[in-house]
Amino acid sequence: MTQALRVDGLRKSYGALKAVDDISFDVERGEIFALLGPNGAGKTTSIEVLEGFLKRDGGGVEVLGVDPGDRRHLRWLRDRIGVVLQELAVESFFTVRQVLERNAGFYPNPRPIDQVIELVGLSDKGDAKVKRLSGGQQRRLDIGLGIVGNPELLFLDEPTTGLDPAARRTTWDLIRLLSSEGTTVLMSSHYMDEVEALAHRVAVLSRGHIAAQGPTASLGGRNEGEVTIRFLPPPGVEMADLPITPSRVEGGVVEVKSRDEVAALHTLTGWAIDHDVALAGLSVTRETLEDIYLALTRRDRDESEGRSS
Amino acid sequence: MSSTDNDVMTRKLWLHDVRLVIHQVKYEQLFFWLNRVGAIFTVGFSVVFLVMLGAGSGNQRVASLGGIRLVQYYVPGFVAYGVMAAGFTTLAITLVVRRETGLLKRLRLSPLPSWVLIASIFISTTIVALVQTILLLVIGRFGYHVNFPSSWLAMLIAILVGIVSFSAMGVAISAVVPNQEAAGPVTSIVFFVLLFLAGLWFPLPPGSGLAKFSNYLPVRHLIIAMDRSFQIPKGVSPWAWHDLLVVALWGVGATLVSLRRFRWSPRRV
Repeated sequence: MTQALRVDGLRKSYGALKAVDDISFDVERGEIFALLGPNGAGKTTSIEVLEGFLKRDGGGVEVLGVDPGDRRHLRWLRDRIGVVLQELAVESFFTVRQVLERNAGFYPNPRPIDQVIELVGLSDKGDAKVKRLSGGQQRRLDIGLGIVGNPELLFLDEPTTGLDPAARRTTWDLIRLLSSEGTTVLMSSHYMDEVEALAHRVAVLSRGHIAAQGPTASLGGRNEGEVTIRFLPPPGVEMADLPITPSRVEGGVVEVKSRDEVAALHTLTGWAIDHDVALAGLSVTRETLEDIYLALTRRDRDESEGRSS
Repeated sequence: MSSTDNDVMTRKLWLHDVRLVIHQVKYEQLFFWLNRVGAIFTVGFSVVFLVMLGAGSGNQRVASLGGIRLVQYYVPGFVAYGVMAAGFTTLAITLVVRRETGLLKRLRLSPLPSWVLIASIFISTTIVALVQTILLLVIGRFGYHVNFPSSWLAMLIAILVGIVSFSAMGVAISAVVPNQEAAGPVTSIVFFVLLFLAGLWFPLPPGSGLAKFSNYLPVRHLIIAMDRSFQIPKGVSPWAWHDLLVVALWGVGATLVSLRRFRWSPRRV
């Protein structure tokens, strides 16, 4: 069995609201898979069905090879999964060690407490009360509680929401470390940069269904599309004198769209060296995940508005 | 796998769960005593009230109870108070806070079976009630020359019935309290009004409207059952089956409400 998760046509409604409407994806063992989408897109609902916390209305689901909706498998499954919720769920007047020891006792094969404390970077805080920790440290302890049972599969529901930039970076490092040790991770996020930094593959969720999915680096074909070259033209040089044709000029900055950036850059920089001029602020950018994401969800919004009018 | 292997597996799992209960009770106890609010509200209050009221008007005689000293009336009353405070107020507030901060949901998603959690909370609450009963009895005996219960068994049974029923009521009210901010005020107000109506602070005149009304509520019956185990008023039987039945019926009702309304996850805004 190489797949940690199999989701096939999952559906879940709250009354008339279709929170999750026919989504399908697979997650390989050892992979970091992200569900990306705005609030209300169905990320948490999907995760809670996979955790066996919510009952699904339809579709097939397998988590580590068993159906999380089947009560007979639930305990077996909970021995093998780790969960980090959106809420920071840690008792504030326990020490770091006490909370971890308590939760370790629930699992048949827990990680050693000292190893967990070191993994989450709280080595000097083991005997500190939880309420004395900063927000970032509490979140890392929270992830520590998620991994203390030595899970094969870890669910992370918006792991860095509300953290400052430094705490986000250390949390990312921790998630990468866990992944490198072989833990499969299903995470949700509404941050594009987070998904881009962590996830091997991503599914973009919008209004309860998947708008696109694929490897993060090539989602929506962005690794093959146009790149944009930007620079400030040298003083006294006319647009007509440039060796390549600008797509547009804005605020003095020249933008060139190209599908063959290697040749375009060769032409441009060769010309600059020959004429001994500078190309201030030269940059090459590809479409970002955010561009793709906004395009995908915009198309979806337009479609649904078209239907309803 | 043969059926004998299955039996061994089942027995091991069962033993494992018993160990889990002991493990969880240890941390429920730690949780209770470290979270000083609960400890002060339950054990602290009853001890302080007994010492203060005993020192103040403890030697007055109560004619309607056969001329016993007021402090003798307070000891079983505060034993009952402690049972109710631990089972009802403290448990309700703790459950709401745990639910709204996501602690219950996290426990639900761990391998800890729900019944182990419930059993652990119940055992832990019973330990708290017993600790404070011993404190009250010792302070009453050596501070104010109050008698020990006439029937220890009757008192223990009253404590257990009280813990089960008032814990069920605590779970039920936690299920209808919307958020953490409301948990303390709502449960405390309900609790102190019930205590007032039930005559914890002063003996209710028999036959009064207040006494009749409080006959339908559980608090007064638990206090009476506790009183009876001390043979208050003088000469009665220490067994109060009728009163314990009323308390138990409230427990059953509360269990039905809990089963319908209990939530594991926080309310999303």
